[in-house]
Amino acid sequence: MARTIAIVEDDPDQRANYADAITMKGYQVNAYANREEALEGFDEALPDLVILDIILGDEVDAGFQLCRDLLAKSPSLPVIFLTERINEIDKISGLRLGAWDYLPKPISLDYLAERISSLLRINEVRAENEEETSATAKRIGDLVLDQDALLVSWRGHRIDLSGTEFRMLAKLVRMPGHAVSYETLMNATMQSLVTNNTINTHMRNIRKKFEKVDQGFASIKSEYGFGYRWSG
Amino acid sequence: MRILRRIRGPRLGTKIMLLGLTLLIVPWFSYRQLVEMERLLIQGQSNAQLLTAEGISTLFNGREDLFNDLPLAIEDFENLYAHPLQGPVRLDGQLEDWGEDMTDNLLRFGSEGAPGDADLQLVLGERGGNLHAFLRITDGDRVFRDPEYLRLDAADHVRLTFIRANGEDARVALTMQEPGPTTAYDMDLNWQYAQTGNPNSAVQGHAIETETGFQFEFRLPLQLLGSSRYFGLAFVDVDDAASRGITHITQTLPTAGKESFNLAVLRSPEVLSIIRGLGYSGARILVIDAEQRVRAETGSYQTMETERAPPNPALALLRQAFDELRPLLHWVTTGETYQPLQPRPEDSDGTADAAISESLSGEPISLRRSVGDSEIIIAAHPIVSRGTVIGTVVVEQNIRDILSFESSALEQVILLSVAALIAVFIALLAFAGRLAWRIRSLRREASGAIDQYGRLRISELHSEMKAGDEIGDLARSVSSMLSKLHQHNNFLENMPRTLRHEINNPLNTLSTSLENLAEENPDVRQSKYLDSAKRGVIRIGSIVQNLADAANLDESLEAEEREVIDIAELLQSYVANCKITHSNCEFVLRRPEHPVYANISDYHIEQLLDKIIDNAVDFHRSNSPIKVHLDYQRDQLQITVANRGPVLPERAEESLFDSMVSHRGPQNRLHFGLGLYVVRVIAEHHGGFVRAMNLEDGSGVAIVVQLPCVESRHTATSRTANGQSDPLLAVRRS
Repeated sequence: MARTIAIVEDDPDQRANYADAITMKGYQVNAYANREEALEGFDEALPDLVILDIILGDEVDAGFQLCRDLLAKSPSLPVIFLTERINEIDKISGLRLGAWDYLPKPISLDYLAERISSLLRINEVRAENEEETSATAKRIGDLVLDQDALLVSWRGHRIDLSGTEFRMLAKLVRMPGHAVSYETLMNATMQSLVTNNTINTHMRNIRKKFEKVDQGFASIKSEYGFGYRWSG
Repeated sequence: MRILRRIRGPRLGTKIMLLGLTLLIVPWFSYRQLVEMERLLIQGQSNAQLLTAEGISTLFNGREDLFNDLPLAIEDFENLYAHPLQGPVRLDGQLEDWGEDMTDNLLRFGSEGAPGDADLQLVLGERGGNLHAFLRITDGDRVFRDPEYLRLDAADHVRLTFIRANGEDARVALTMQEPGPTTAYDMDLNWQYAQTGNPNSAVQGHAIETETGFQFEFRLPLQLLGSSRYFGLAFVDVDDAASRGITHITQTLPTAGKESFNLAVLRSPEVLSIIRGLGYSGARILVIDAEQRVRAETGSYQTMETERAPPNPALALLRQAFDELRPLLHWVTTGETYQPLQPRPEDSDGTADAAISESLSGEPISLRRSVGDSEIIIAAHPIVSRGTVIGTVVVEQNIRDILSFESSALEQVILLSVAALIAVFIALLAFAGRLAWRIRSLRREASGAIDQYGRLRISELHSEMKAGDEIGDLARSVSSMLSKLHQHNNFLENMPRTLRHEINNPLNTLSTSLENLAEENPDVRQSKYLDSAKRGVIRIGSIVQNLADAANLDESLEAEEREVIDIAELLQSYVANCKITHSNCEFVLRRPEHPVYANISDYHIEQLLDKIIDNAVDFHRSNSPIKVHLDYQRDQLQITVANRGPVLPERAEESLFDSMVSHRGPQNRLHFGLGLYVVRVIAEHHGGFVRAMNLEDGSGVAIVVQLPCVESRHTATSRTANGQSDPLLAVRRS
């Protein structure tokens, strides 16, 4: 049975483009133009994954509200924000709500499809074995990285990273001790428009998440003018 | 020149003070008024006096009978005045009942200088048609008449000489046998025997003996004297009661060359009684006959010298200052030289005489003259009878009251004016100061509302907003201007973000549509037009992104956490990485050997360096190194990035760091002039600044960033790693 993807996007052109592209990848697509429509649709049946725009018509926070409602119904539902609101504060609030990823417009449709399949797979893996450490897990010093489940733990503490952050971290720890350039890290985000600033912001967020469980965390080093380095 | 340019005109305070000077018109006007008032008062006084004189003179018009009872020529006689007596007089040898102060009128006769034997003091009085005489005689040895002797000159006695009404000479001796009533006898030519045995009962007298001599008082009817009124008197002193010879004769008879009689001049009592009722304080009324003899006089122009309480020294000083100041004041206000009436003692009588003669010639006149320290006005009006002038009435009035009133008024005016001036000046000064202060503070706040880059710092003013006056209006209107500007600025600042929001959606549509298009038509996928369309989409996205980043920079800087970092280490790592990223460039780093700590946000400093290095790489001449130097002094560190290459165009140094200003050529379309703007914003956010300058030898450009650093213990010992000799860094200070 094909997976159901719900798209909530007020702009008809973009909605149609998403729907076409995703349908082409073999998914069942339900596209909604506003919050009310979407809520009605979700009442009938919950999709497997939801792509949300934040601004829907006149409601500037409709996407956040929808996300809250959805996660209240099904906490493990993968939610992706796909929005033109790329301010730091929006990104943070989106991820705090429990969204799995926060993708800024403009976006490449291939990337979107890749994200969708990746998140769906992760969700499956998580659903299959909630507790056990996956066999795909990789250990680098105190860090344990599960590529498939997008799970990270530091000295035994689970760390929740967004998809992008996970990807960047994975890239960083691939060769511990070696500097990883901004360019490499940009590729890791798999987004079309990334600046050094974006990388720095992501890195800072990652650092903060680690520091939350370990005050003395200092494994991510800045290579000023070049990139970052993991020193396990 | 700069100072001259700064002075555009008088300040507000000066202007108000200058306006305040117009208050000087008050003392000026007051003084003029005062002078005018003085003139008017004196004029009025003169007129009043003249009127008085005229009024009095009309009483005497046609009354020549009052004047012609005196001999016409009196120059040859010495006058004995007969004072009018107010009350009844008893013949008792006492002066007390003659009226007050008669003692002062005593005339002395006899030995010159020290009082001697047989000296005589005399006063004449007139009442009820009788001539009264009082004599005080000094006589050591008093000899009374002995009835045994027939000769009357064998004892002390008083001789009277006069001319009778019928023209005969009269000789009367007053004798006494004891103190008490005297007996008068008409005497023979030799003053030895009485002509008749009967005493002359018309002349009655009384003598008393005192410790020093006698006091005689007698009276005789005036009709005895006739109209000529020649009258003489002598005291015959006999000292030896045995020999009874005459020792002294003290007489009022004139000296040689004069007629043998004194003239008893009697004030015309009628005239006197007429003018007496007219006298008033501070005025003297004289009635003078055609011979310029004073026929009646009443009052005195010497007012009572009411000795005022001595004024306190400050006031006296003030008055003196006024007196000193007055000529100048007079000159300034009226344009005339101040001429106070100087006392002229030598001709003060002359003035009066002139007035009298003038009026005697038939013209009424009033004059001003100064006597001693007071001034008087003399008004004279002729008395006319049957077409001829028979006399004149002179009214003399002291005008010291007027003058002292004037001078005290002057003092008050000046004092008040000065006080008012000072008060008004102080008030104006305070007002001007307050006004200027308010305007200054408003200006300060208004000019502080916008920083040097034209950005609004505040959206409204706080000072003067509640003031109800024009300054308040100004403040409110400036404030509302600012708030409107603030709204507009907000709109402009949000513009890039809004733009990004608005553009990102259609851009996304475009990009996704392109992808779908390629997916749908596989042959399109290879088309170069698809690629160029995608590149266009990416470029638009990056433009919008850059704009939004620059606009968000302030916000993201606010949110950034700072930490103390070794900048030398950061630079070292940064430059090392630069050599990798910009492999076609050579980088030279010079840094102190020990750490230089600064409280910074490392991402942003990195971003700052990115922009500067990008700039330097773009402009550097190939095969020349890009020099990065770190120097520090105490609490300031300086990062200098210098490259050889084209120099900055003139005046570019100022605008280089402004937003959207690019001095790159038109071939660099991807630059929006945001790079160096970002550098400036970051540097300023860290409390530092950035400037660009041409190298001293004109071979390139240096960008200098100064940031505050955390003081370290190495600061004092070392400044730079290796001297100041590098020509590349000897930058031209503009």
